[in-house]
Amino acid sequence: MRRKSLFVVIAVLASLIASAPAVLAQTDCKTVVPPSPWGPNDQTGATNRVTPAVTKAAAAEIQEGKVIVMAYPLTDGIPLFGTRFTKTILTATTLAPGAALGENQLTYMEDTWLSQSHVGTHLDGLGHIGRKDCYFNQTAMGKFITQNNMTKLGLEHLKSFATRGVLVDMVKVYQAAGKLKTNPACKKPCIDKGTVITSADIQAGLKMYNVTLREGDIVIIHTGWGNLFEQYPGQNALYNSGEPGIGKDAAKWLVSQKIVAVGADTWGVEVIPGEDPKEAFIVHNMIITDAGIHIMENVRTDLMADEAEKTKRATFFFSMTVPKAVGLTGNFVSIEGIR
Amino acid sequence: MHRAAEPPAPREGRRRCFLGIVLSGLLLSAWLAAGSPGMAAQERRYTVAFANLTEEPGATLEGTGFTGREVRESFALAARRYPIDLVFYDNHRDPQKALANVEDAARRKVDLYIQYLDDPATNVKVGQSLRAAGIKVLAINTPVPDAPLYTLDNRAAGRIAGEALSEYAARSWRGQPAIGIVIGNLRAGEYRIPDRAQGASEGLKRHLPALKITSLDTQGNPAQVGPLLGKVLTASPATKILVAAMDDASALAAKSTLESAGRLPDGAIVGQGVDRSVHGGMNDRKEIDPSNRGSIVIGSVAFYLDRYGYEVLPIAARMLSGETVAPRTVTPHRLITAANVFIEYPPYDMN
Repeated sequence: MRRKSLFVVIAVLASLIASAPAVLAQTDCKTVVPPSPWGPNDQTGATNRVTPAVTKAAAAEIQEGKVIVMAYPLTDGIPLFGTRFTKTILTATTLAPGAALGENQLTYMEDTWLSQSHVGTHLDGLGHIGRKDCYFNQTAMGKFITQNNMTKLGLEHLKSFATRGVLVDMVKVYQAAGKLKTNPACKKPCIDKGTVITSADIQAGLKMYNVTLREGDIVIIHTGWGNLFEQYPGQNALYNSGEPGIGKDAAKWLVSQKIVAVGADTWGVEVIPGEDPKEAFIVHNMIITDAGIHIMENVRTDLMADEAEKTKRATFFFSMTVPKAVGLTGNFVSIEGIR
Repeated sequence: MHRAAEPPAPREGRRRCFLGIVLSGLLLSAWLAAGSPGMAAQERRYTVAFANLTEEPGATLEGTGFTGREVRESFALAARRYPIDLVFYDNHRDPQKALANVEDAARRKVDLYIQYLDDPATNVKVGQSLRAAGIKVLAINTPVPDAPLYTLDNRAAGRIAGEALSEYAARSWRGQPAIGIVIGNLRAGEYRIPDRAQGASEGLKRHLPALKITSLDTQGNPAQVGPLLGKVLTASPATKILVAAMDDASALAAKSTLESAGRLPDGAIVGQGVDRSVHGGMNDRKEIDPSNRGSIVIGSVAFYLDRYGYEVLPIAARMLSGETVAPRTVTPHRLITAANVFIEYPPYDMN
């Protein structure tokens, strides 16, 4: 009887061991994602490029002290991806009669924020997009996720975004080239959804303001599509249905320029529908997964575009702080361009 | 005294100016003849006409749920990759309109004409007119004589569905009594549905050679699926039912019928088309969806009318560059299931 039990235990263990490789099977990420140029332990990505010298050089952009808002309000009714939501609940119990505290009758309020992180103007972190289970720097993400967050590639590893911002006004580029096909729902000129922004278009936009990209820059693309965001909730369905954006050629070129981040006044920065209907958000893979460069979505660009046109200068000090939110894949942010 | 330091005498200055202009002109001409760097970088652009079968709202094509608008949009999106300017025509399924479209395209001197019309006789005339105008032709689904053809393979599509069903039955219902049903607009020759049905029957017999197959003709009305299939279900208690539906609407109606009869565990269904009625976005929860893997609708065979532009324009581009192309290119039909739908049709919009 004892021997029989032992046999059963051995048989169970043997079957578990035999099935273990299948259970733990993971993609060999070395064949799927390139290594980080900053080494095998890197979890920081392109913000490694924001060195003291880069920040100091960017500070030269502050000439008048003028601050330009580059984020949209985060509130009910704005367009959100799929089933994403963002909701606040106000706690104001001490405002009830007799609930104030002390002789000084102190009252207080605070908020509970129930929200997904990729809402409104937001930053895509390095843990946001992968290929299979492989993320930036060949990270086999299956080993680094818990029910609550990631244990690798979280926002807490990012360095500063205090660098030079460069606005590329695609609307002006397309107008100058006589190829602007605006969408009638846009109250200001916009590039219509599905329009592929190429590397040549971006270079034309840089040339328009005599800018040469430097390592460590942040590129902000104005397409005018953000005007539909501003009309929330009226144009949410149209805004969400597609967008103009960079294609694969532009993504490749931007990566070669060693930038830190690319943002746009669209919900995904890349062209939707994409260039190949069988590919899903391929530019995200190229920029985040393969190059460790950040994407910023729903950036308010119209005010900076106006300012650039007025002053003939499209560069600014990029001001954005990202919370040290441990293990998060991204977060809503506020951005200001300082000139 | 350095002459260069002094302004030239008026006469000498005029001569130098004249020589300068002549020299500049010669240099500019040579530069233009060689092509400026910018011009050299520019590809030649072509004008391609696409004459769609019909864009009438609500009208569906090829016995599937796809519309002409989806076909047209696929061309507009696919053209982004090529140095091609598209001119769109709507043939309205009308021979006279089709011939008028060709006349207009000839006047415009388009480089290539893509004809999508299910009328062989008119396509002969279309081919003659375009050849006379020196315009290359490419046909979709119905041949234009001597022109390359891009076409569906209805029999192959039907066979894929039938094989998937018989394989499922052989695997899951081993030894249990089963019947095969081929249901849809079975006599619609203009959509080649008889070919589709024949392929489905062949496929059903692949793993179940003795399977009895019943054909149910809805005459194009999916509302007829319920009554027709309902009778079969009543007459065949304790029998497994393999349904090869000739379109997605009939597949969904078949599922509904099985559900109403309390026979879901007895059914397996495959549709044809994979239009947006059966698949969608991340949160659409359509019938073919990764989160719906247990459905008795095993899948549907893709017809890709919403990707015609992506399939046809590469052929057109090769023709324009002078390459010889295959006389017949066939749609790569494949079975789309809950397991591969988001790979084949990645959802992309936010709504």
